[in-house]
Amino acid sequence: MAGVSTKEIKNRIRSMESTKQITKAMEMVAASKLRHAQARVTNSRPYFEILYNTISDIVSANSEFSSPYLTKRPVKKSVYIVIAGDRGLAGGYNNNILKLAEAEFAGKEVSVLPIGKKAVDYFRSHKTPILSEQYLSAADMNVGDCFTLSKQLCNLFLNGEIDEIRIGYTNFVSVLSQTPSILQALPLTAHPVPKESKQSDILYEPGSDEVFKAIIPEYVGGILYGALCESRAAEQAARRTAMDSATQNANDMIAELSLKFNQARQAAITQEITEIIAGS
Amino acid sequence: MTPFQLKIVTPDGLIYDGMAEELIVRSTSGDIGVMAGHINCVVPLGMGQAMAIIDGTKKYAACIGGMLSVLDGKVTLVPTTFEWADQIDVSRAEKSESRARAVLDHKSSADTDIRLAEARLRRALIRQSVANRK
Repeated sequence: MAGVSTKEIKNRIRSMESTKQITKAMEMVAASKLRHAQARVTNSRPYFEILYNTISDIVSANSEFSSPYLTKRPVKKSVYIVIAGDRGLAGGYNNNILKLAEAEFAGKEVSVLPIGKKAVDYFRSHKTPILSEQYLSAADMNVGDCFTLSKQLCNLFLNGEIDEIRIGYTNFVSVLSQTPSILQALPLTAHPVPKESKQSDILYEPGSDEVFKAIIPEYVGGILYGALCESRAAEQAARRTAMDSATQNANDMIAELSLKFNQARQAAITQEITEIIAGS
Repeated sequence: MTPFQLKIVTPDGLIYDGMAEELIVRSTSGDIGVMAGHINCVVPLGMGQAMAIIDGTKKYAACIGGMLSVLDGKVTLVPTTFEWADQIDVSRAEKSESRARAVLDHKSSADTDIRLAEARLRRALIRQSVANRK
């Protein structure tokens, strides 16, 4: 009886060890990808911030015209761009952002534009209206894709087919902390800064309308790219943490099983000795 | 010449942050030059060559898309791509040019393909011409 159980335990230890090797390898891959993603986030952050600040400066300094991008209209139809990962095994990364997005949808007529395989799969199975399934891979999306997408969306927005564009992404706070968040892309939310009623004297070349028409798609593309970079770094960080704890769990289980194995082996030896002594 | 503060940022990072004496970029409606004391303005950028005078030396770059804003004497250039002449990958631009030409020579290409190829061709040509100036 003891022999069978030692063999069983041995098998379990062996399978646990190979699982551990896999999680360990995944952790190391995620760690190296994280380094690249992190570098990209730190590189793109100034762009993100300056773009955002410049646009809000212009919007708050502007008093002479109203662009369709600025006016809030009753929201009938919203588009949510939801950025998730292409693969699972990243702790709560995919789940958190998808749950947050789903909660935001409540009571609205929405269509989503999922980025990343997990997001596409999720909204497909939940029968949420999907705008386009073109962006299956979040990892392969580049700046150019962001700008093309943003141009399409801005056109839809100008034609009045959609009234609101929001981006659901995961903010890469640090290696250990990632928070899912929703960002409003359009219409622009102006912060009415009471600038001591200074006469705004910005020159728009060739004209304010044309300037806004040209700049806003760039702006939306820019923040979309920023959100994508953040999400990608967050995914790798989440995966690294998840795999790290999986490896630790495997180690704990192996230690526990080894103890059991040794106990069982010892018990078998003791029993054998007892039998021999009893027989002589 | 009086220098002014110039900041150039692209999605790939901060390209330049410091003083400059003059900046000329291609906007959607032609070249525009900025010197110290420029009026506040916002200009969308086209595709073309940019030139900046930094510490008395002229520096050329390929600058594509984005916008230029001057607010309270601070000049911020936010292009989609910005490459100094000595950083341009000429062989990549040449490859991109030949690929774009192949699409354009093909009569049966789809409309969107042609538009994309035209844009790619223009970018490649700008990069090459800027790279030749260094």
